[in-house]
Amino acid sequence: MYKLFLTLRYLFARRIAYFAIAAVMLCTAMIVIVNSVMGGFLDKIKAKARGLLGDIVVNNNSARGFPLYGEFITDISKWPEIEAAAPVIFSYGLLSFQDTAILNTVQVNGIDLEKTYRINAFKQSLFYEKYYPGSTTLGVQQQPKLGFDPERSPVSSDSPGEMWVTLPADLLDLLAKSRAAGIEDRETVDSGVNVALRKAGLPTLPGLFEVNIEGATDDPSSDDGSVGRAGYFGDPREGIIIGRDLVAFREKDGRYRRYMQRGRMTILTLLPISDGGSVDAPIKVPLRYADDSRTGIYEIDSKTIYCDFALLQRLLLMDEGERADDSGKIPARCSQIQIKIKPGVDANKLAERLEQHYRSYLEKDLPDVREFERNLLSGIRVQTWEESQAAYIAPVEKERILVTILFAIISLVAAVLVMCILYMIVLQKTRDIGIVKSLGGSSAGVAAIFVGYGAAIGVVGAAIGGTLGYLFVIYINEIQAWLIHINPAWQVWDRSVYSFDEIPNTVRTSDFAIIVVCGILLAIFGSLAAAWRAARMQPVEALRYE
Amino acid sequence: MSNADNLLTAAAIRKHYRMGRSVVPVLTSCDLSVRRGEFLMIMGRSGSGKSTLLHLLGALDTPDSGRISLTAGPQSPEVSVFPATERERNEMRRRWFGFVFQFYHLLPELSVLENVLMTRMVGTSISGWFGGRGAIRRDAIALLEQIGLGARLKHRPAELSGGERQRVAFARALVHKPLLLLADEPTGNLDAESGAKIMALLHDLHRSGQTIVMVTHDMQLTKSADRMLVLENGALQT
Ligand SMILES: Nc1ncnc2c1ncn2[C@@H]1O[C@H](COP(=O)(O)OP(=O)(O)O)[C@@H](O)[C@H]1O
Ligand SMILES: [Mg+2]
Repeated sequence: MYKLFLTLRYLFARRIAYFAIAAVMLCTAMIVIVNSVMGGFLDKIKAKARGLLGDIVVNNNSARGFPLYGEFITDISKWPEIEAAAPVIFSYGLLSFQDTAILNTVQVNGIDLEKTYRINAFKQSLFYEKYYPGSTTLGVQQQPKLGFDPERSPVSSDSPGEMWVTLPADLLDLLAKSRAAGIEDRETVDSGVNVALRKAGLPTLPGLFEVNIEGATDDPSSDDGSVGRAGYFGDPREGIIIGRDLVAFREKDGRYRRYMQRGRMTILTLLPISDGGSVDAPIKVPLRYADDSRTGIYEIDSKTIYCDFALLQRLLLMDEGERADDSGKIPARCSQIQIKIKPGVDANKLAERLEQHYRSYLEKDLPDVREFERNLLSGIRVQTWEESQAAYIAPVEKERILVTILFAIISLVAAVLVMCILYMIVLQKTRDIGIVKSLGGSSAGVAAIFVGYGAAIGVVGAAIGGTLGYLFVIYINEIQAWLIHINPAWQVWDRSVYSFDEIPNTVRTSDFAIIVVCGILLAIFGSLAAAWRAARMQPVEALRYE
Repeated sequence: MSNADNLLTAAAIRKHYRMGRSVVPVLTSCDLSVRRGEFLMIMGRSGSGKSTLLHLLGALDTPDSGRISLTAGPQSPEVSVFPATERERNEMRRRWFGFVFQFYHLLPELSVLENVLMTRMVGTSISGWFGGRGAIRRDAIALLEQIGLGARLKHRPAELSGGERQRVAFARALVHKPLLLLADEPTGNLDAESGAKIMALLHDLHRSGQTIVMVTHDMQLTKSADRMLVLENGALQT
């Protein structure tokens, strides 16, 4: 009983113990925060990577792609484990906007939009598709433009004309649908049109559109004649989806400010690779900006555009063709197949079977599969999304472990501090230890007082530190907002730089428990030297003198 | 006199201290028996080894050689205090011995009452403590009231005078009803008046049947003892 009693008494009577508690507390809080933020970061990256790929991907690590994807997809679509599969083509190109100086090198992804929607989370990354559901297509399209609203009376000349602009009727209908579903644009800085609409108390029109300034004569009440009717204009062209960071700036608060209008004409320059492996003459195609995509990974959103699979295949000469000597067909090729599997299926095992299936085509003596195709087929790899992204995810995972270990090492400082403080207390308490021993206390009992003391410091410190760390992580974004409020220079998490709008703010329960337990063990460890010293102390020495 | 009347017997006790390379012999050959219920006084110059002897008798320290044994009651078997394991000696201190030191040696963070209760806590498990706490507390408070400290239960030792502190130390040494009270110059640090009060307390205890061994270098005090021994040159003389 005396052990418990003295432990608690010393804990509250010795102010110096508060320093030890504070040290344990800070270390625990620090590691909880670092581990949680890094872990949350990793989880988000993983979720995004998966959302972009599907569960399983087929690659062959060649820019020339691989053939027989059609047969493969037809075959595996019959498998009960497979939900959906779609081919993708990757290439590189230059993207410019008509009438601007903007020119970007881009990765070009040829996708089948409808199939991609079913396989991964690409649809959720689209902007216009969200507010005007169903309006995004990679097919042939014109440019939607704003025009005056004939339903509404014109306004006085001191207000800008935008106040009564409107979109083509079909887009307005689609917008009404998303509005009814409660979807509202909070991710974009208001365009000039939307600022005016908002001022007038009218619903905004998400996105950025050009205003029709030609053929304005339809409106008799418009004196200046600068705005015509809303509608679709320009040459019909195939659409592309552009990475958000190619068409908009990101503000510090994380919102986007678009500078390209929907439907604007772009020029995509492609470099097809010949069968011999060299670059053929560049091809230029005009395409319309149909939508923009934000996956949340900056490397992708600042470099990638998406166009129709069949179009890109044709442009890159990867579609089916006749052999020059008329001896047969050249099979069509793609760069990747993305596969979504049914829930509960073991992706690793399935990936192996899929790879075997693809390789089995090599054994079937197919007439159109010649030396060139065989080479491409032999490089086929079927991987789970995790494996295929390992190069990207593994460093972050390693970093997280490394940082946690580094901080754990730093936390040894806390252990040393606990050790010093407890050792000091033992030296100061030499006489008390003698007294307790004279009353019949054993060496082990006296040691237990100090181990208990360390444990109490650990429990109190780790509990407070864990709670503080937990609260800090949960409210990390609010804290950040408050810091910015005090001084804008204190923005740690720059949303224009990081992929994620918010600092990860989830705490993994298992990691949290481990950290808190380690905090307690750390303090106990720190108390061992003192306990050892106290146990070895001879009571008579201490009692002989004052 | 029958052997059964002896509470504690020590024979051929030797104790030396080592200071660096030199050996300081303190007790060369001590023989002693403490009779049940007696007030035994041991006299000796400062540095003669009185404290050392008292610590050995009370199982707080171990001699180099010799034998110490205790017979708890007329019908009880003889128990060896030395040689004995550390566990056994801890247990003996807890049950049979009560120490009072010259410098009080109270725990400064604890109140008067808690200091006294500490003796009982050492001998009690956590569950036992919470089971019998009420009775244990009542005993301790009764004892403190008996020695005139009923009004100072919540005070810290630092708030008490030397004489009061020493009385708390007595309460602590007595609360578990030890067979033998070992007092090491209990008045050595007190003024004459406080010292007299402590001596009166010792007499009261003695009258109520408590066996006491007290060491002192003050010739004056030895008058009140049943018996007196002198410690000189590492041995006891009558
Ligand atoms: N730990 C020790 N190391 C060395 N010498 C000691 C130690 N403790 C006591 N002594 C010596 O032993 C002798 C007896 O000490 P002590 O028992 O305290 O005498 P007393 O209580 O009679 O004054 C003294 O000379 C003292 O210096
Ligand atoms: Mg002494």
